[in-house]
Amino acid sequence: MDLTFIVVLVIVLAIFFDFTNGFHDTANAMATPIATGALRPRVAVTVAAVLNLVGAFLSTTVASTISGGIIHEGPGGVDITPAMIFAGLIGAVIWNLITWLRGLPSSSSHALFGGLIGAALVGAGTNSVDFGVLLSKVVIPAVLAPLVAGVAGFIATRLAYRITRRPVEKNHRTGFRVGQIFTSSMVALAHGTNDAQKTMGVITLALIAGGFLQTGSQPPVWVIVVCACAIAAGTYTGGWRIIQTMGGGITDIKATQGFAAEASTAATVLASSHLGFALSTTQVASGSIIGAGLGRRGGAIQWGTAGKIVIAWFITLPAAAAIGALCELVARLGNVGLIIDAVLGLAVILTIFIVSRRSPAEQSNALEVDVALNSVMTRQERRAAAKKRSDAILATRRQLSDESSLFGYGQQEEAR
Amino acid sequence: MIDWISFILVAVVSIGASAAIVALFAAGLRLLAVEGRRAIIRSGAYACFAVAALGVLFGIYLIIPVFHAG
Repeated sequence: MDLTFIVVLVIVLAIFFDFTNGFHDTANAMATPIATGALRPRVAVTVAAVLNLVGAFLSTTVASTISGGIIHEGPGGVDITPAMIFAGLIGAVIWNLITWLRGLPSSSSHALFGGLIGAALVGAGTNSVDFGVLLSKVVIPAVLAPLVAGVAGFIATRLAYRITRRPVEKNHRTGFRVGQIFTSSMVALAHGTNDAQKTMGVITLALIAGGFLQTGSQPPVWVIVVCACAIAAGTYTGGWRIIQTMGGGITDIKATQGFAAEASTAATVLASSHLGFALSTTQVASGSIIGAGLGRRGGAIQWGTAGKIVIAWFITLPAAAAIGALCELVARLGNVGLIIDAVLGLAVILTIFIVSRRSPAEQSNALEVDVALNSVMTRQERRAAAKKRSDAILATRRQLSDESSLFGYGQQEEAR
Repeated sequence: MIDWISFILVAVVSIGASAAIVALFAAGLRLLAVEGRRAIIRSGAYACFAVAALGVLFGIYLIIPVFHAG
Protein backbone atom coordinates (compact mmCIF):
# COMPACT_ATOMS: atom_id res chain seq x y z
CA MET A 1 0.00 0.00 0.00
CA ASP A 2 2.73 2.35 1.08
CA LEU A 3 4.91 1.57 -1.89
CA THR A 4 1.99 1.64 -4.31
CA PHE A 5 1.20 5.15 -3.19
CA ILE A 6 4.75 6.35 -3.89
CA VAL A 7 4.89 4.59 -7.24
CA VAL A 8 1.63 6.22 -8.31
CA LEU A 9 3.01 9.62 -7.30
CA VAL A 10 6.21 8.95 -9.24
CA ILE A 11 4.30 7.93 -12.35
CA VAL A 12 2.06 11.00 -12.30
CA LEU A 13 5.03 13.29 -11.77
CA ALA A 14 7.11 11.52 -14.43
CA ILE A 15 4.33 12.03 -16.96
CA PHE A 16 4.19 15.70 -16.05
CA PHE A 17 7.98 15.89 -16.43
CA ASP A 18 7.60 14.37 -19.88
CA PHE A 19 5.08 17.09 -20.71
CA THR A 20 7.42 19.90 -19.57
CA ASN A 21 10.22 18.22 -21.49
CA GLY A 22 8.06 18.43 -24.62
CA PHE A 23 7.23 22.10 -24.42
CA HIS A 24 10.71 22.99 -23.25
CA ASP A 25 12.25 21.44 -26.32
CA THR A 26 9.81 22.47 -29.05
CA ALA A 27 12.10 25.44 -29.59
CA ASN A 28 15.10 23.28 -30.48
CA ALA A 29 13.44 22.17 -33.67
CA MET A 30 10.85 24.78 -34.42
CA ALA A 31 12.19 28.16 -33.27
CA THR A 32 14.03 28.90 -36.50
CA PRO A 33 11.33 27.91 -39.04
CA ILE A 34 8.81 29.96 -37.04
CA ALA A 35 11.17 32.94 -36.91
CA THR A 36 11.85 32.91 -40.63
CA GLY A 37 8.24 32.27 -41.58
CA ALA A 38 8.96 28.88 -43.14
CA LEU A 39 6.14 27.40 -41.05
CA ARG A 40 3.31 29.13 -39.29
CA PRO A 41 3.61 28.73 -35.50
CA ARG A 42 0.58 26.44 -35.11
CA VAL A 43 1.63 24.30 -38.06
CA ALA A 44 5.18 24.09 -36.74
CA VAL A 45 4.21 22.89 -33.27
CA THR A 46 1.72 20.43 -34.77
CA VAL A 47 4.40 18.94 -37.00
CA ALA A 48 6.79 18.76 -34.07
CA ALA A 49 4.15 17.12 -31.87
CA VAL A 50 3.30 14.47 -34.48
CA LEU A 51 6.98 13.70 -35.06
CA ASN A 52 7.60 13.46 -31.32
CA LEU A 53 4.68 11.05 -31.01
CA VAL A 54 5.99 8.93 -33.86
CA GLY A 55 9.53 9.10 -32.50
CA ALA A 56 8.42 7.96 -29.06
CA PHE A 57 6.93 4.80 -30.54
CA LEU A 58 9.98 4.13 -32.70
CA SER A 59 12.41 3.83 -29.84
CA THR A 60 11.21 2.11 -26.69
CA THR A 61 14.30 0.33 -25.47
CA VAL A 62 15.02 1.87 -22.10
CA ALA A 63 18.31 2.00 -20.29
CA SER A 64 18.71 -0.24 -17.25
CA THR A 65 20.01 2.64 -15.16
CA ILE A 66 18.23 5.89 -14.61
CA SER A 67 21.27 8.12 -14.38
CA GLY A 68 23.61 6.43 -16.83
CA GLY A 69 26.22 5.63 -14.23
CA ILE A 70 26.37 9.00 -12.46
CA ILE A 71 24.78 7.47 -9.39
CA HIS A 72 26.09 4.10 -8.21
CA GLU A 73 22.92 2.14 -8.78
CA GLY A 74 21.97 -1.49 -8.53
CA PRO A 75 23.99 -4.33 -7.05
CA GLY A 76 26.98 -3.14 -5.03
CA GLY A 77 25.74 0.43 -5.10
CA VAL A 78 22.93 2.34 -3.50
CA ASP A 79 19.28 1.56 -3.96
CA ILE A 80 17.45 4.32 -5.70
CA THR A 81 14.15 4.27 -3.88
CA PRO A 82 10.92 5.48 -5.49
CA ALA A 83 10.92 8.28 -2.91
CA MET A 84 14.28 9.49 -4.24
CA ILE A 85 13.00 9.34 -7.81
CA PHE A 86 10.00 11.35 -6.68
CA ALA A 87 12.14 14.03 -5.02
CA GLY A 88 14.44 14.17 -8.03
CA LEU A 89 11.50 14.56 -10.41
CA ILE A 90 10.09 17.45 -8.39
CA GLY A 91 13.47 19.18 -8.67
CA ALA A 92 13.60 18.56 -12.42
CA VAL A 93 10.02 19.72 -13.07
CA ILE A 94 10.32 22.89 -10.99
CA TRP A 95 13.63 23.85 -12.57
CA ASN A 96 12.23 23.20 -16.04
CA LEU A 97 9.31 25.50 -15.29
CA ILE A 98 11.52 28.23 -13.85
CA THR A 99 13.75 28.30 -16.92
CA TRP A 100 10.68 28.24 -19.15
CA LEU A 101 9.26 31.23 -17.30
CA ARG A 102 12.47 33.11 -18.03
CA GLY A 103 12.43 31.85 -21.61
CA LEU A 104 15.75 30.06 -21.26
CA PRO A 105 16.48 26.87 -23.19
CA SER A 106 18.05 24.45 -20.71
CA SER A 107 18.57 20.74 -20.93
CA SER A 108 15.71 18.68 -19.47
CA SER A 109 17.95 15.67 -19.00
CA HIS A 110 20.42 17.71 -17.00
CA ALA A 111 17.53 18.84 -14.81
CA LEU A 112 16.53 15.20 -14.32
CA PHE A 113 20.08 14.12 -13.50
CA GLY A 114 20.45 17.08 -11.17
CA GLY A 115 17.28 16.33 -9.26
CA LEU A 116 18.25 12.68 -8.87
CA ILE A 117 21.79 13.54 -7.78
CA GLY A 118 20.45 15.92 -5.15
CA ALA A 119 18.04 13.33 -3.86
CA ALA A 120 20.72 10.62 -3.84
CA LEU A 121 23.23 12.83 -2.01
CA VAL A 122 20.74 13.41 0.78
CA GLY A 123 19.17 9.97 0.71
CA ALA A 124 22.27 7.81 0.36
CA GLY A 125 25.28 9.96 1.23
CA THR A 126 28.05 11.56 -0.81
CA ASN A 127 29.49 8.20 -1.84
CA SER A 128 26.45 7.51 -3.98
CA VAL A 129 27.49 9.92 -6.72
CA ASP A 130 30.39 9.26 -9.07
CA PHE A 131 31.77 12.74 -9.65
CA GLY A 132 34.21 11.56 -12.30
CA VAL A 133 31.36 10.28 -14.45
CA LEU A 134 29.43 13.45 -13.69
CA LEU A 135 32.32 15.52 -15.02
CA SER A 136 32.87 13.45 -18.14
CA LYS A 137 29.19 12.88 -18.98
CA VAL A 138 27.62 16.21 -18.09
CA VAL A 139 30.01 19.06 -17.39
CA ILE A 140 32.57 18.69 -20.17
CA PRO A 141 30.00 17.83 -22.89
CA ALA A 142 28.11 20.97 -21.84
CA VAL A 143 31.17 22.99 -22.81
CA LEU A 144 31.92 21.05 -25.98
CA ALA A 145 28.39 20.73 -27.41
CA PRO A 146 27.84 24.42 -28.21
CA LEU A 147 31.41 24.70 -29.48
CA VAL A 148 31.05 21.88 -32.01
CA ALA A 149 27.57 22.97 -33.04
CA GLY A 150 28.64 26.59 -33.20
CA VAL A 151 31.54 25.83 -35.52
CA ALA A 152 29.30 23.59 -37.66
CA GLY A 153 26.59 26.26 -37.84
CA PHE A 154 29.12 28.98 -38.63
CA ILE A 155 30.78 27.05 -41.45
CA ALA A 156 27.46 25.90 -42.89
CA THR A 157 26.06 29.43 -42.87
CA ARG A 158 29.17 30.86 -44.48
CA LEU A 159 29.05 28.18 -47.17
CA ALA A 160 25.36 28.71 -47.84
CA TYR A 161 25.78 32.46 -48.28
CA ARG A 162 28.93 32.06 -50.34
CA ILE A 163 27.37 29.55 -52.73
CA THR A 164 24.12 31.43 -53.27
CA ARG A 165 25.82 34.82 -53.53
CA ARG A 166 24.68 36.86 -56.52
CA PRO A 167 25.77 40.44 -56.26
CA VAL A 168 23.52 41.77 -59.03
CA GLU A 169 20.64 39.44 -59.80
CA LYS A 170 18.03 38.11 -57.46
CA ASN A 171 19.30 35.27 -55.31
CA HIS A 172 16.97 32.42 -54.55
CA ARG A 173 17.53 32.20 -50.85
CA THR A 174 13.83 31.90 -50.07
CA GLY A 175 14.28 28.30 -51.22
CA PHE A 176 16.05 27.64 -47.93
CA ARG A 177 12.66 27.90 -46.24
CA VAL A 178 11.62 24.65 -47.90
CA GLY A 179 14.82 23.03 -46.72
CA GLN A 180 14.20 24.30 -43.20
CA ILE A 181 11.00 22.28 -42.97
CA PHE A 182 12.96 19.07 -43.52
CA THR A 183 15.91 19.81 -41.26
CA SER A 184 13.66 20.97 -38.41
CA SER A 185 11.50 17.88 -38.77
CA MET A 186 14.62 15.75 -38.42
CA VAL A 187 15.49 17.48 -35.16
CA ALA A 188 11.94 16.97 -33.86
CA LEU A 189 11.98 13.27 -34.75
CA ALA A 190 15.37 12.77 -33.12
CA HIS A 191 14.05 14.48 -30.01
CA GLY A 192 11.05 12.16 -29.86
CA THR A 193 13.19 9.05 -30.07
CA ASN A 194 15.60 10.31 -27.40
CA ASP A 195 13.57 12.03 -24.77
CA ALA A 196 10.25 10.19 -24.46
CA GLN A 197 12.24 7.06 -23.79
CA LYS A 198 13.95 8.71 -20.81
CA THR A 199 10.62 9.09 -19.01
CA MET A 200 9.65 5.56 -19.98
CA GLY A 201 12.85 4.48 -18.26
CA VAL A 202 12.01 6.41 -15.10
CA ILE A 203 8.51 4.93 -14.88
CA THR A 204 9.74 1.42 -15.65
CA LEU A 205 12.42 1.64 -12.99
CA ALA A 206 9.88 2.92 -10.47
CA LEU A 207 7.61 -0.01 -11.31
CA ILE A 208 10.52 -2.41 -10.90
CA ALA A 209 11.50 -0.83 -7.58
CA GLY A 210 7.89 -1.21 -6.44
CA GLY A 211 7.90 -4.85 -7.38
CA PHE A 212 5.30 -4.55 -10.13
CA LEU A 213 7.66 -5.61 -12.88
CA GLN A 214 10.55 -8.08 -13.21
CA THR A 215 14.06 -6.63 -13.01
CA GLY A 216 15.34 -5.79 -16.48
CA SER A 217 11.94 -5.82 -18.15
CA GLN A 218 10.95 -3.41 -20.89
CA PRO A 219 8.22 -0.79 -20.42
CA PRO A 220 4.61 -2.03 -20.64
CA VAL A 221 2.50 -0.81 -23.55
CA TRP A 222 0.49 1.65 -21.48
CA VAL A 223 3.69 3.36 -20.33
CA ILE A 224 4.84 3.80 -23.92
CA VAL A 225 1.48 5.18 -25.02
CA VAL A 226 1.15 7.57 -22.09
CA CYS A 227 4.72 8.86 -22.42
CA ALA A 228 4.40 9.38 -26.16
CA CYS A 229 1.13 11.27 -25.71
CA ALA A 230 2.52 13.39 -22.87
CA ILE A 231 5.58 14.52 -24.80
CA ALA A 232 3.50 15.20 -27.92
CA ALA A 233 0.96 17.21 -25.93
CA GLY A 234 3.78 19.19 -24.34
CA THR A 235 5.32 19.87 -27.71
CA TYR A 236 1.98 20.97 -29.14
CA THR A 237 1.46 23.40 -26.26
CA GLY A 238 4.63 25.05 -27.46
CA GLY A 239 6.96 26.84 -25.10
CA TRP A 240 6.47 30.16 -26.86
CA ARG A 241 8.79 31.95 -24.48
CA ILE A 242 11.69 29.71 -25.36
CA ILE A 243 10.75 29.80 -29.04
CA GLN A 244 10.96 33.58 -28.90
CA THR A 245 14.36 33.47 -27.22
CA MET A 246 15.83 31.02 -29.70
CA GLY A 247 14.06 32.37 -32.78
CA GLY A 248 14.66 36.05 -32.22
CA GLY A 249 16.34 36.68 -28.90
CA ILE A 250 19.80 35.38 -29.73
CA THR A 251 20.08 36.74 -33.22
CA ASP A 252 17.85 38.06 -35.97
CA ILE A 253 17.62 34.84 -37.95
CA LYS A 254 17.13 34.56 -41.73
CA ALA A 255 16.01 31.56 -43.78
CA THR A 256 19.56 30.68 -44.90
CA GLN A 257 20.82 30.77 -41.33
CA GLY A 258 17.82 28.83 -40.07
CA PHE A 259 18.46 26.08 -42.59
CA ALA A 260 22.17 25.96 -41.81
CA ALA A 261 21.54 25.99 -38.05
CA GLU A 262 18.98 23.17 -38.07
CA ALA A 263 21.10 21.12 -40.49
CA SER A 264 24.06 21.36 -38.14
CA THR A 265 21.87 20.66 -35.11
CA ALA A 266 20.53 17.50 -36.75
CA ALA A 267 23.99 16.42 -37.93
CA THR A 268 25.60 17.02 -34.54
CA VAL A 269 22.85 15.31 -32.56
CA LEU A 270 22.90 12.27 -34.83
CA ALA A 271 26.68 12.05 -34.92
CA SER A 272 26.94 12.37 -31.14
CA SER A 273 24.31 9.73 -30.41
CA HIS A 274 25.79 7.25 -32.87
CA LEU A 275 29.50 7.75 -32.31
CA GLY A 276 29.27 7.49 -28.55
CA PHE A 277 29.79 11.00 -27.26
CA ALA A 278 26.41 12.13 -26.03
CA LEU A 279 25.64 15.83 -26.36
CA SER A 280 22.55 17.65 -25.15
CA THR A 281 20.11 18.56 -27.95
CA THR A 282 19.24 21.87 -26.34
CA GLN A 283 22.84 22.96 -26.08
CA VAL A 284 23.59 21.83 -29.60
CA ALA A 285 20.61 23.76 -30.97
CA SER A 286 21.52 26.97 -29.14
CA GLY A 287 25.14 26.62 -30.21
CA SER A 288 24.34 26.23 -33.86
CA ILE A 289 21.97 29.21 -33.77
CA ILE A 290 24.78 31.33 -32.32
CA GLY A 291 27.15 29.97 -34.98
CA ALA A 292 24.66 30.77 -37.70
CA GLY A 293 24.23 34.27 -36.28
CA LEU A 294 27.99 34.84 -36.47
CA GLY A 295 28.12 33.43 -39.98
CA ARG A 296 25.96 36.10 -41.62
CA ARG A 297 27.70 39.34 -42.34
CA GLY A 298 25.93 42.07 -40.39
CA GLY A 299 24.22 39.52 -38.17
CA ALA A 300 24.59 40.58 -34.56
CA ILE A 301 24.44 38.23 -31.58
CA GLN A 302 22.68 39.45 -28.47
CA TRP A 303 25.48 38.38 -26.17
CA GLY A 304 23.44 39.37 -23.13
CA THR A 305 20.82 36.75 -24.00
CA ALA A 306 23.44 34.21 -25.03
CA GLY A 307 25.23 34.74 -21.73
CA LYS A 308 22.04 34.18 -19.76
CA ILE A 309 21.47 30.93 -21.64
CA VAL A 310 24.99 29.73 -20.88
CA ILE A 311 24.58 30.58 -17.20
CA ALA A 312 21.30 28.65 -17.19
CA TRP A 313 23.08 25.59 -18.58
CA PHE A 314 25.63 25.60 -15.82
CA ILE A 315 23.26 26.16 -12.95
CA THR A 316 20.62 23.71 -14.22
CA LEU A 317 22.24 20.71 -12.59
CA PRO A 318 23.11 22.26 -9.20
CA ALA A 319 19.77 24.08 -8.98
CA ALA A 320 17.72 20.98 -9.75
CA ALA A 321 19.96 19.09 -7.33
CA ALA A 322 19.26 21.61 -4.58
CA ILE A 323 15.50 21.33 -5.07
CA GLY A 324 15.75 17.54 -5.28
CA ALA A 325 17.81 17.42 -2.09
CA LEU A 326 15.33 19.59 -0.26
CA CYS A 327 12.43 17.39 -1.36
CA GLU A 328 14.30 14.24 -0.35
CA LEU A 329 14.95 15.77 3.06
CA VAL A 330 11.23 16.32 3.53
CA ALA A 331 10.36 12.95 2.00
CA ARG A 332 12.39 11.17 4.65
CA LEU A 333 9.56 11.91 7.07
CA GLY A 334 7.69 9.09 5.40
CA ASN A 335 4.29 9.28 3.77
CA VAL A 336 3.55 12.62 5.43
CA GLY A 337 6.74 14.01 3.93
CA LEU A 338 5.78 12.78 0.49
CA ILE A 339 2.39 14.44 0.76
CA ILE A 340 4.04 17.67 1.93
CA ASP A 341 6.40 17.42 -1.06
CA ALA A 342 3.54 16.82 -3.45
CA VAL A 343 1.49 19.72 -2.09
CA LEU A 344 4.45 22.12 -2.04
CA GLY A 345 5.48 21.05 -5.54
CA LEU A 346 1.97 21.58 -6.82
CA ALA A 347 1.85 25.01 -5.16
CA VAL A 348 5.11 26.06 -6.82
CA ILE A 349 3.93 24.79 -10.21
CA LEU A 350 0.65 26.68 -9.88
CA THR A 351 2.45 29.84 -8.79
CA ILE A 352 4.75 29.69 -11.80
CA PHE A 353 1.75 29.16 -14.04
CA ILE A 354 -0.08 32.16 -12.55
CA VAL A 355 3.01 34.36 -12.87
CA SER A 356 3.37 33.29 -16.49
CA ARG A 357 -0.21 34.37 -17.18
CA ARG A 358 0.59 37.88 -16.00
CA SER A 359 2.90 38.52 -18.91
CA PRO A 360 1.36 36.55 -21.72
CA ALA A 361 4.45 36.44 -23.90
CA GLU A 362 3.36 33.14 -25.30
CA GLN A 363 0.78 34.03 -27.86
CA SER A 364 1.34 32.31 -31.13
CA ASN A 365 -0.57 35.13 -32.82
CA ALA A 366 1.73 37.81 -31.48
CA LEU A 367 4.65 35.79 -32.74
CA GLU A 368 3.08 35.52 -36.15
CA VAL A 369 2.66 39.29 -36.38
CA ASP A 370 6.30 39.69 -35.45
CA VAL A 371 7.29 37.32 -38.20
CA ALA A 372 5.19 39.13 -40.77
CA LEU A 373 6.79 42.41 -39.78
CA ASN A 374 10.19 40.80 -39.76
CA SER A 375 10.03 40.05 -43.44
CA VAL A 376 9.36 43.55 -44.74
CA MET A 377 10.73 46.05 -42.24
CA THR A 378 14.15 47.22 -41.26
CA ARG A 379 15.17 46.80 -37.68
CA GLN A 380 14.44 50.41 -36.81
CA GLU A 381 10.97 50.28 -38.33
CA ARG A 382 10.31 47.05 -36.52
CA ARG A 383 11.30 48.58 -33.20
CA ALA A 384 9.08 51.57 -33.83
CA ALA A 385 6.19 49.29 -34.75
CA ALA A 386 6.68 47.18 -31.67
CA LYS A 387 6.70 50.29 -29.51
CA LYS A 388 3.58 51.61 -31.19
CA ARG A 389 1.82 48.31 -30.66
CA SER A 390 2.76 48.07 -27.02
CA ASP A 391 1.68 51.68 -26.50
CA ALA A 392 -1.66 50.89 -28.07
CA ILE A 393 -2.10 47.83 -25.86
CA LEU A 394 -1.16 49.85 -22.80
CA ALA A 395 -3.63 52.59 -23.70
CA THR A 396 -6.43 50.07 -24.19
CA ARG A 397 -5.60 48.43 -20.90
CA ARG A 398 -5.64 51.76 -19.11
CA GLN A 399 -9.01 52.57 -20.61
CA LEU A 400 -10.49 49.23 -19.69
CA SER A 401 -9.16 49.25 -16.16
CA ASP A 402 -10.23 52.82 -15.52
CA GLU A 403 -13.39 52.20 -13.57
CA SER A 404 -13.95 55.72 -12.30
CA SER A 405 -14.44 57.54 -15.55
CA LEU A 406 -16.76 55.66 -17.82
CA PHE A 407 -17.74 59.01 -19.18
CA GLY A 408 -14.23 59.79 -20.35
CA TYR A 409 -13.93 56.33 -21.89
CA GLY A 410 -16.92 57.00 -24.09
CA GLN A 411 -15.55 60.35 -25.13
CA GLN A 412 -12.28 58.87 -26.18
CA GLU A 413 -14.13 56.36 -28.28
CA GLU A 414 -15.98 59.17 -30.02
CA ALA A 415 -12.82 61.16 -30.49
CA ARG A 416 -11.48 58.34 -32.62
CA MET B 1 38.01 9.86 -18.47
CA ILE B 2 36.98 11.88 -21.45
CA ASP B 3 37.04 9.95 -24.67
CA TRP B 4 38.78 12.61 -26.75
CA ILE B 5 39.10 10.43 -29.83
CA SER B 6 35.38 9.86 -30.08
CA PHE B 7 34.81 13.54 -29.35
CA ILE B 8 37.06 14.58 -32.23
CA LEU B 9 35.32 12.03 -34.43
CA VAL B 10 31.93 13.49 -33.49
CA ALA B 11 33.16 17.03 -34.10
CA VAL B 12 34.64 16.22 -37.50
CA VAL B 13 31.64 14.19 -38.65
CA SER B 14 29.06 16.74 -37.53
CA ILE B 15 30.89 19.71 -39.03
CA GLY B 16 31.54 17.81 -42.24
CA ALA B 17 28.03 16.44 -42.58
CA SER B 18 26.30 19.74 -41.95
CA ALA B 19 28.64 21.54 -44.33
CA ALA B 20 28.03 18.92 -47.01
CA ILE B 21 24.22 18.96 -46.74
CA VAL B 22 24.03 22.73 -46.65
CA ALA B 23 26.49 23.10 -49.53
CA LEU B 24 24.51 20.65 -51.67
CA PHE B 25 21.20 22.36 -51.00
CA ALA B 26 22.71 25.79 -51.59
CA ALA B 27 24.31 24.62 -54.82
CA GLY B 28 20.93 23.33 -55.97
CA LEU B 29 19.31 26.66 -55.24
CA ARG B 30 22.12 28.51 -56.99
CA LEU B 31 21.77 26.37 -60.10
CA LEU B 32 18.02 26.93 -60.16
CA ALA B 33 18.71 30.65 -60.12
CA VAL B 34 20.73 30.51 -63.37
CA GLU B 35 19.04 32.32 -66.23
CA GLY B 36 17.71 30.49 -69.25
CA ARG B 37 17.11 27.38 -67.19
CA ARG B 38 18.79 25.03 -69.61
CA ALA B 39 17.88 21.39 -69.12
CA ILE B 40 21.35 20.32 -68.05
CA ILE B 41 21.63 23.00 -65.40
CA ARG B 42 18.22 22.19 -64.06
CA SER B 43 18.95 18.51 -63.85
CA GLY B 44 22.18 19.40 -62.06
CA ALA B 45 20.12 21.34 -59.53
CA TYR B 46 17.75 18.44 -59.04
CA ALA B 47 20.70 16.09 -58.65
CA CYS B 48 22.00 18.30 -55.83
CA PHE B 49 18.61 18.20 -54.11
CA ALA B 50 18.43 14.45 -54.58
CA VAL B 51 21.81 13.86 -52.94
CA ALA B 52 20.82 16.17 -50.07
CA ALA B 53 17.59 14.18 -49.71
CA LEU B 54 19.64 10.98 -49.53
CA GLY B 55 21.54 12.55 -46.65
CA VAL B 56 18.24 13.23 -44.90
CA LEU B 57 17.09 9.66 -45.52
CA PHE B 58 20.34 8.38 -44.03
CA GLY B 59 19.62 10.57 -41.02
CA ILE B 60 16.17 9.01 -40.63
CA TYR B 61 17.79 5.59 -40.94
CA LEU B 62 20.08 6.54 -38.07
CA ILE B 63 17.23 7.92 -35.95
CA ILE B 64 15.07 4.82 -36.16
CA PRO B 65 16.72 2.11 -34.08
CA VAL B 66 14.87 -0.80 -35.68
CA PHE B 67 16.96 -0.40 -38.84
CA HIS B 68 20.39 -0.78 -37.35
CA ALA B 69 20.27 -1.92 -33.72
CA GLY B 70 18.70 -5.23 -34.69
